[in-house]
Order: sequence, then C-alpha cells, then structure tokens
Amino acid sequence: MTGRIHIDGQSIPFAQGQTVMQAAEDAGVAIPHLCYHPDYEANGSCKMCTCKIDGRQVSSCTTPATDGMVVVSNTEELNSERRALAQMLFIEGNHHCPSCEHSGNCVLQDQAYKLGMTALIFPNFTAGRETDASHPDILLNRDRCIYCELCVRASRDTDGKDLFCITGRSNNKGLAINSDTGLLKDSGLSVNDAAANVCPVGCIIKKRQAFTKPIGQRDYDKRQVHSNKISPSTLPELVKEPGEKVSVATCSLAGCFGCHMSFLDIDERIVELVEHIEFDRSPINDIKTCSAEVDIGLVEGGVCNTENIETLREFRRSCKVLIAVGACAMSGGVPALRNSIDVRELLEESYIDNVGVENPQIPTDDELPHILENVSPIHEVVKVDFFLPGCPPPADAFWQILNDIVEGRAPDLPYDLTYYD
Amino acid sequence: MTSESDAVVREQLAAYRRDPRMVLQILRKLQLAQNHIKATDIDIVAESLNLPRTKIHALIDFYSFLHNTPRGGYDIYFSDSITDHMLGSRESAAVLCEELGVEPGVPEKDGLATVDFTSCTGLCERGPGVLVNGIAIDRVDIERAHEMAALIRAGTPLEDWPLEWFVINDAIRRKGPLLNMTVQRGAAIERAIELGADGVIAELEAAGLRGCGGAGFPTHRKWDICRSAGAGERYVICNADEGEPGTFKDRALLNCEGCNVIEGMTVCGITIGARKGFIYLRHEYEFLRERLDRRLQRRRDSGKLGRNICGHHGIHFDIEIVMGAGSYVCGEESALIESLEGKRGIPRIRPPFPVTHGYRGCPTVVNNVETFAYAAGIAADGPGFFKQDDAKRGWKLLSISGDCRSPGIYEMPVGTTVGEALQACGAEDVQAIQVGGPGGTLLASHETERELSFDDSNTGGSFMIFDHSRDMLDVAQNFTDFFAHESCGFCTPCRVGTKLMANMAEKIAAGHGARLDIEQMQRLNKLMTQASHCGLGQSAAVPILTTYEKFPEAFRQRMDDVEYKPAFDVEAAIERSRQIVAEEAQS
Ligand SMILES: Cc1cc2nc3c(=O)[nH]c(=O)nc-3n(C[C@H](O)[C@H](O)[C@H](O)COP(=O)(O)O)c2cc1C
Ligand code: SF4
Ligand code: SF4
Ligand code: SF4
Ligand code: SF4
Ligand code: FES
Repeated sequence: MTGRIHIDGQSIPFAQGQTVMQAAEDAGVAIPHLCYHPDYEANGSCKMCTCKIDGRQVSSCTTPATDGMVVVSNTEELNSERRALAQMLFIEGNHHCPSCEHSGNCVLQDQAYKLGMTALIFPNFTAGRETDASHPDILLNRDRCIYCELCVRASRDTDGKDLFCITGRSNNKGLAINSDTGLLKDSGLSVNDAAANVCPVGCIIKKRQAFTKPIGQRDYDKRQVHSNKISPSTLPELVKEPGEKVSVATCSLAGCFGCHMSFLDIDERIVELVEHIEFDRSPINDIKTCSAEVDIGLVEGGVCNTENIETLREFRRSCKVLIAVGACAMSGGVPALRNSIDVRELLEESYIDNVGVENPQIPTDDELPHILENVSPIHEVVKVDFFLPGCPPPADAFWQILNDIVEGRAPDLPYDLTYYD
Repeated sequence: MTSESDAVVREQLAAYRRDPRMVLQILRKLQLAQNHIKATDIDIVAESLNLPRTKIHALIDFYSFLHNTPRGGYDIYFSDSITDHMLGSRESAAVLCEELGVEPGVPEKDGLATVDFTSCTGLCERGPGVLVNGIAIDRVDIERAHEMAALIRAGTPLEDWPLEWFVINDAIRRKGPLLNMTVQRGAAIERAIELGADGVIAELEAAGLRGCGGAGFPTHRKWDICRSAGAGERYVICNADEGEPGTFKDRALLNCEGCNVIEGMTVCGITIGARKGFIYLRHEYEFLRERLDRRLQRRRDSGKLGRNICGHHGIHFDIEIVMGAGSYVCGEESALIESLEGKRGIPRIRPPFPVTHGYRGCPTVVNNVETFAYAAGIAADGPGFFKQDDAKRGWKLLSISGDCRSPGIYEMPVGTTVGEALQACGAEDVQAIQVGGPGGTLLASHETERELSFDDSNTGGSFMIFDHSRDMLDVAQNFTDFFAHESCGFCTPCRVGTKLMANMAEKIAAGHGARLDIEQMQRLNKLMTQASHCGLGQSAAVPILTTYEKFPEAFRQRMDDVEYKPAFDVEAAIERSRQIVAEEAQS
C-alpha cells in the first residue's frame, strides 16, 4: 500500500512497506528515536519513538504506515514521556557525560537535550558492569549500554560476524561478546566493522580518538536557538516588599569549584544582578555560613560523605528555593566514577598506596566524616527545586535562571544553554 | 574418548534430533541431570547445533531454572507467591535453611543442597509449594520442612522420599459442564470431521467461546483467521505456561482432564489444517509431563493422534510437549513462540500476530489450556455445551486461593459476581480480592456486586482473597517485586520502570516513603501503561497504585505526611566505612 499519513497535521507520503518512522524520516520530519536505524530492521525496544497513532500509543518505528493514518508526535504529553525514558536510561547506566569520551557526539545526550531534559529525577542504579579494554583499538564500556541492539544487528546483518549478544533479563541484562574468551580482543571485531561504528552512545568507542574534536565542533554542539519551554515544577513563592532584594547563597560539596567559577563568568552582568539580589554565603563575599533564611540556594557538587550530608541538609533548611548546579550535584558527576570501587580500596589508595604519603594509615579519628558507599546526586538527600546542568553550566545559564526567579517565573533553561558536560 | 558427562549431553542432542530450536529443551535436561550446565557441555551444544556460545549463555541467563554454576544436589525452590507467603512459605524456607546451614540461593559448601525462591509454582490452593529437582511438593509447612531437612542430611534419594508428598491432588470444588464432562474419547474429533471446518467454527461462534487465558479473544475468529491465512504449514499451540500468580486451573485440567485438552487441540488442528501441535508446559509442571506423554502415546496407539486420525484418510495431527524453563513472560503468546523456537522469551513486535505469523513464521493458533478443553466440549456436544439457560455467557474456571475455607477450582457461569464467588468458597472477614492476578483488578470487600467477566473484572482464572489480618502494602510489594523479577528487560519503560517501582515500594514499606514518591510512581505508571511493549510492563505499576487508592491506610501506617524523604538510608550507606575504620582501629 502507498498513500499519505498525517504527522502533527502535516501530510506526507509513504512508500510500499514503510513504517511511520521511515516515512517521517524520508519527509524530513523528526520523531525522536534511539534504537531505530535506517540500515536495519526495527527493534522497537527503546520506546523513544512512541507516538499516538490513530488514537493508540505505539512505537512509530514498528508501525506500518497505512493510508490516512493520523500520527501525533510533537506534543508536551508525549515529549514528557520521552524525557522520562531518557531519564530512565541515564540513571540505569552510569551516564556521567563530563567524563565520557563520547560526549558531544552522543545520540542519547542529543535526544535528551532536544527533549529539554534538565534534571535526573530518579535515584541512580549505579551500574557496575564490566568494562572490556582488551581490544587494541576498541573499548567497550558496558555501563553506558542502552540495549538498543544496534551493534547486534550491525554485526549480524552487515558484518556477517554475529559478535554481540544480549543476555539476561530484567535489570540483570547484559551485553556479551561471542569469542572464546568472551573478550573483545578475541572476537575478530575490526575498527571498520559496522558494529564498531554504530553505537549511538559511548559504550562501543574507538581508542585514541576521544576528545579529538574540540568542544563547539562536536556532532551535536551546533544548536539552533530553540527554547524548550518546559516548566517542570512551580516556583515556591518569594514574597518581597517593594525594593527588597532576593538573597542568594551558594555552597560546594564534592565538586571542583568549577561551577562557582562559571557563575563568576557572568562578568560585568553581576553588577546588574546585585541590583536585584544580595549574596549571602558565597565565595563572592567569602561569607562561610548561611543566614537562617535565604531565598535561593545554589549547590555545586555531589554527596560523598557524612559531612556533605550535614552541610546540604542545613543549607536546604535555610533556602526557600534550592538549585542543583552542575553535573556533580545532578548525577554525582566526576566523583561518582569511584562508585564501582569498594570503599576499602578507595581508602587504601588515598591513605596508604598514594604517592608521597607519609605515615601511611587509614585515619580512624571519630571526628572525621565517613565516606558513603556511593557518591550520590543531591536530590537523593534533599528535595531539589531546580537543576542547572553542565560541567560547568555556562555563565549565561546562571544568568538566565536567576533572572527567571527574580522576575517570578519558574526557571526554564533553553535548548541552547543546556549542556551535560 | 567420551567422558560420562559427554554421554549425557550427546544423548540429549540425539533425543532432540540436533534441532537448534530444541536447544532450550536440551539445556533444561542437562540442568536437571547435573544440577547445572557445564562449560564443556555448552561448548558441545554450541558446536553441535551450530549456535554461537553467547546465545547459549544468553538462554541460561534468561531462564530462572538454568544455571551455569553448580546448584546443590537437592535443588529446592520455595514459591514466593503471596498466597504461599500467607501459608508460611518464608517460615518453612527459614527452617530448612537453618537446619541445612545454608543461605538462600547459595549452595552449601559440600554442594548438598540449595534453598531458593521462585515465582508462583501454581500450587496456590495447597501451598506452600516447593520444587525439588524440578518436581513439585505441596503443603511444605514447618513440620514437613523439618522432615525434608532430615531426608536431605541423610542423603535419601528423591525416589525414597514419602510418596504422598509428590501426589498433587486437585481441589475441584464446583463442577460445571467441563468438569462434569463424560464424552467418549474421540467423539469431538468424529463430530468435528463430520461438521467440517466451517461447521466447527460456526459452533464455536454460536457458543460465544472466548480465550480463557485472559485476553478473551473470540476463539472462532482466531481459528478462522489462521485457517484462511495463506497456504503451507500451520501450527496449534496449547499455552500451558500458567505463570499468573494465583492461577492453577490449567494444572488441574491437564491433570484430570488432559485428554479433553488434547482432544480440543486435535479438533483445532483438523479445523485449521495443521499437522503439528505443541503443548508448552511450564517447568514447574514437570510432574504432569510424564502422565501427559503417556496419554499422548495411548491416543497415538488408538489412532486418535498421528496419521489418518480415527481412520480418516489424509487427516494427520500429532502433539509434542515442550517445556518452559522459568519465565513468566513466556506465557505471552509471541514470547512463548520465541521460546518454542529455542530463543529468549522476548515478546515479538506485533502486528503481525501469531495467528498469521507464528511458529517458524507460519500461521499459528495459540490458545489457553481451558479454551481447548471447552472447544472439545463444544465440538462434541454443540454450542449448548457451553451456553445453557443458567449460563448465558458460558462458563469459566476460577482458581480461588488465599483466605477462605475451601480454596480450589470452581467452574462458574461467566458473570458470576464477586460476592457469589466469595460465598461459594466460604470467605469471611474479607478485606480485598485480587481478580486476574497481580496485573488484574484489586477489589475492596464492598465491591461484591462486581461481575467476573470480560466486560467487568476480567480474569484468566486467578482469584486471591485477603482477610483483615493481611497487610495490603505487603501484598502490593510482593506483586511489584514479581514484575521486576519477571520483566524480560527488552523495553526501557518496563525494564527500568519495574525496578524503580520495586525500589520505591521497598522504600515505602521500610517507612522511608513520602508524598513525592507517590507522585513519581503515578507518573511512572502512566508511562509504563502507555509505552511498554507487552502486557507485563503495561500492568506492572498498577497493583501498588490501586492499593494506594483503595487501601490508603496501609500506606499511611508506614508514611509520615511529609513531602520528601531521602532516596537512601544514610546509616546503611556508611556501614562499609564504619566497618573499615573499626577494623583499622583494632589493628
Ligand atoms: C505477560 C503475559 C503473560 C501471559 N501468560 C499467559 C499464560 O500463562 N497462559 C495463557 O494462556 N495466556 C497467557 N497470556 C495471554 C496470551 O498472550 C494469549 O493471549 C493467550 O494464550 C491466548 O489464548 P486464549 O485466547 O485461549 O486465551 C499472557 C499474556 C501476557 C501479556
Ligand atoms: S555522552 Fe556518554 S555519558 Fe553522556 S549520555 Fe552519552 S554515553 Fe552517556
Ligand atoms: S553497545 Fe551500543 S549499540 Fe550495542 S546495544 Fe549497547 S548501546 Fe546499543
Ligand atoms: S559539575 Fe563540573 S565544574 Fe561543576 S563541580 Fe562538578 S566537575 Fe566541577
Ligand atoms: S513490557 Fe516488560 S516484559 Fe514486556 S517486552 Fe517490555 S520489558 Fe519485556
Ligand atoms: S526508535 Fe522506535 S522503539 Fe526505539
């Protein structure tokens, strides 16, 4: 059958045997997707391409087009579901973009940007899957696998090698390599194989090619300005007398202070800002403790020990609006790389085996904070009102979010200011 | 040179004709014979069947009852279904673990025994249900657990355990036309041949028989579509996976009326023009397999299966039993077909549906055990068999379990009210009823006017009763865990969503829940319902949220009225650090 389908009111043609996704791609209509690829048979697993088709919610990559079909795709209802799917994939694996070689060239990341994902609301699963670095040219970082099965299909259908295989079920799913040792080096996978090039995320990546494209020139760095206009929650009311300023405090947990530095990069605009806000605890004025009541609190860094938890809880109590700033606060970020390592190993590495350690011993003083098994994002410890992603978030993003709040709007980060790295 | 182990694997390969589609059957036999699947056997199977080794590992990882590390010589699974809990399964398991000195799921050092848990074993009315080396034992109360421990410690072979432990009776409490049926073997076949395919389908339509597995698709239409779908081979599959917790009526049917089911499948085969049928029997029903095999053989011997059935030239149909290996989702018809083809049980992309593109891509009828049994009755006696004055909409078998005087099988007219069912089984002090299994409908005790039918409270047969002594949050958590454990992991919303739901249920049960957790569950529920690939994910979040709606008290008892609570327990998160510091301070 051939004919026309209607996507969000636009009429497009389809050819014999095409799915809704294929027809849309041919017509240049973008439907979000992760596991679909034009070269391969549809898989239908990521559910990113879910549309309302003739009134029923189904995957557009597996639904054959029929004449007169009505497809609804770009609605806030569907996009918010897709956003939740992206959030699920992020927390299921270890997606810490700042430390990922694939950042900027990653389809999952790009989809999430486009869907306006500015927060990770679910608790992290902290996957601890095995990394395979055995191959001379290719690295397999399983913690980032989203099980799109593209490598499986590419190896089977294009390369004719059938090297990848999905194993297990439920949350214990895995990606296995078909070789005598189960290792990539013995599999016969070559850098030029389709399977080595098809992974949409930073799971199958080529060695020695990371960070070769400078930031700004990576695949998904070029952004058309396009605002998502998503207000995930409402703004707690900040009742102000006329002329009264909004007070802002900041604090840093397990972070590098880079987010603070970026904040200062708003440069001379800070002068404009201080007309409306006053700084409480912050590095700007070097005030170390927070007043009992602050309007806006910005937190940089994740939670790695009991001291962080205490600081964060006290800070939360003082602030009416709490904003998680940067990848570390949002997902654990760079410090969370330690999450797959046992605590003893960490302590030994720091206090015993580290170079230049004098009098090596693990400190046992009661006064010292205990370190947590995992570095956690701050929303797992206190309620967070807004998130400002990035590593660090661009200065303009700070400017934008603070202005929004000062003017009584719920913060809304536009697409061109949303970065996870 | 062939070692002893080689002999086992080679024997199984030969028994299954070296057919790669039978790989799961071969692996299952190896598991049962040697307590695990040995690495060397995996190599042999992979090579002989020309399959990548990873595919074999993938199967072992997917199916709950397959393992590549040794289990104990006595490999024991307690049913983790809620009704078994209510009958004391956890306590019995604890007794057994303690007496044998083992942790759940971990084999004893000398490899004597493993005590583990599994999803519903289908012995709900006679729980706690247990599987020992694949064989079912019912009513494993604390006393029986002690006796079992003694037998295990003495190394008594399973053959010498008390015989009565292995006799699984069926509590048939109320009989309708099916359970009363006394038709002659072969009568349905003879009449079906006489009526012809059009005639059989017309009678099924007149009877109004709809699928008894839960979805309720009109049976005559399924058979008709399959019959008219292209030329070439077609297949009949009897879905005997019965994995829905609280359902055990298929077990009873196969046990006492097995021939009726076989007769129904044969009628279907003749009607749609299939020559081959399969019974996909769940692993937990291994104890039925031998009996069924004998029945099949008897029917072959008497000409009711095989070539030229009942002497009718050119009518051929035979049936083979294929076993599951521990996966609830394999009850979904397309996942079942994948499993039958020797693959992981991942539901297929639909359309196309199995009725046009099923086993090996050929048109296939998949029906529930009960559907075939009723179809046999209708083929033998006409539509009146199913539809009588007092049952205008036909009949349905209910598997009633939980808190009532007489749990068991009840054959009741479609449209029976919940109140009538409760009365029939002697339920008192009822707090709640779960109709249709964990993914079905939760009813409060005042909803007795609700009907058991496709149009109201639909059920594939499961009817679980909870009295006021039960903690409904506990029930909901059990269901939520069940889905997280059984999710096939194929699609994002279910794979991640079921795990998130289970974590949140646990958080709430532990007293760490807050209002935002409920909001998040509600949002997740919508996503999972709308976007999941199959029925499992679509219903997985429902039980806990319905419980929240209908039994808010169960939540309020464990939740302070606060907006937010941390996602993890700080004390637990620093336990490791504390421990290390304490060790260091000592040394
Ligand atoms: C997750 C899931 C599990 C299922 N389990 C079973 C089962 O154990 N037995 C069964 O007969 N149908 C089960 N079904 C329904 C089957 O997919 C199918 O509809 C049924 O076997 C068709 O037979 P019927 O028309 O005779 O009911 C299940 C469906 C889903 C989505
Ligand atoms: S860039 Fe890397 S860490 Fe970020 S989403 Fe992609 S794969 Fe995950
Ligand atoms: S490795 Fe990459 S391509 Fe393969 S399944 Fe995982 S995410 Fe997809
Ligand atoms: S998000 Fe990046 S810049 Fe900010 S604290 Fe973490 S590492 Fe530093
Ligand atoms: S909904 Fe769940 S069980 Fe069904 S296909 Fe998706 S992951 Fe598998
Ligand atoms: S793109 Fe359609 S389900 Fe993944």
